[in-house]
Amino acid sequence: MSELEILRNYIRTETGYEGELAPDLDLLEKQVLDSFSIVQWAMFIQERFGIELEAEELVRDNLSSFSNVMALIQSKKSAGVVQGGPEM
Amino acid sequence: MLAKLSSPFREFGLFAGLVYAVGRLLQRVSTHLRLYFYELLVQPIPDEPLLPPKLARTLEIRQLREDDPEIAVMPARPEIKKSRFKQNAICLGAFQHEAFVGHIWFCLHAYEEDEVRCTFVLPEGNQAVFDFDLYLFPEHRMGLGFVGIWNGANEFLRSRGVKFSFSRLTRFNLASRRAHESLGARRVARMFVLQAWQVELMVATVAPYVHLSLGKSNRVQVRLRSNACFSEPRRQPLVDSPAG
Repeated sequence: MSELEILRNYIRTETGYEGELAPDLDLLEKQVLDSFSIVQWAMFIQERFGIELEAEELVRDNLSSFSNVMALIQSKKSAGVVQGGPEM
Repeated sequence: MLAKLSSPFREFGLFAGLVYAVGRLLQRVSTHLRLYFYELLVQPIPDEPLLPPKLARTLEIRQLREDDPEIAVMPARPEIKKSRFKQNAICLGAFQHEAFVGHIWFCLHAYEEDEVRCTFVLPEGNQAVFDFDLYLFPEHRMGLGFVGIWNGANEFLRSRGVKFSFSRLTRFNLASRRAHESLGARRVARMFVLQAWQVELMVATVAPYVHLSLGKSNRVQVRLRSNACFSEPRRQPLVDSPAG
């Protein structure tokens, strides 16, 4: 399963959102995520992709769309900040 | 035009949409007329933290005093902040790298509402507080802020034996409703207040149910019941059916 599919599955399962989930959809603007669920979203990304996020990285620019999240995952992986969690 | 008219009904449901429409209409008639639709909620103070320690550490929560400089930069009007300290409210400030990012307020025994003439009296036993005015500066929203403040506030309250926090929400603030629901809040009452110049008529689903206040010195006391806390199985979901 691709990163995008994993992320989409999480959103569908956890939020029940049934609309189209385009890679650039703003999940906050669309109110798919809110100020509480965005932290759970970040926790999921950390655990699922085995990366370690700093508090400063838990911001709208990094987490609001699948594209941004995938870019964040890639940048963390290329920087070598990986914590032994499961990964596809 | 039709879409605009039907928007509140789609957003809030039939009943709440109607109340919203009436409220807007009243405001158009006169700026001295206002209709408030509140929900009173209670949420548990959980035993477990909301954030893992590494993230929790990045947000420092500390109690602010009346003369702390952070109080001056809060968006509430000065007289409102003064009245909060006068009623012994506690203000917790959240700091990230020493930058002031937001705050939350609590009252311990009773909360004197500043929007309408109502005092919410908490159950005896010091196990409940009333929280209000959780605020995050815009640049800190949609990050750790909201959960971080509650995580720190919960720790502060837990260490003082507090188990529940009551709050008053405007029915039409859907984002706040969702956020409270995520924290496990449930609705314990609904309340309507019609303000007409100096007169306030309150109708609520909690005692005294109806109250007419003719002047500023006449405040209604709404006693919040301890059995509304989580001793019974959850009966009333916070999120209404579309008709709610």
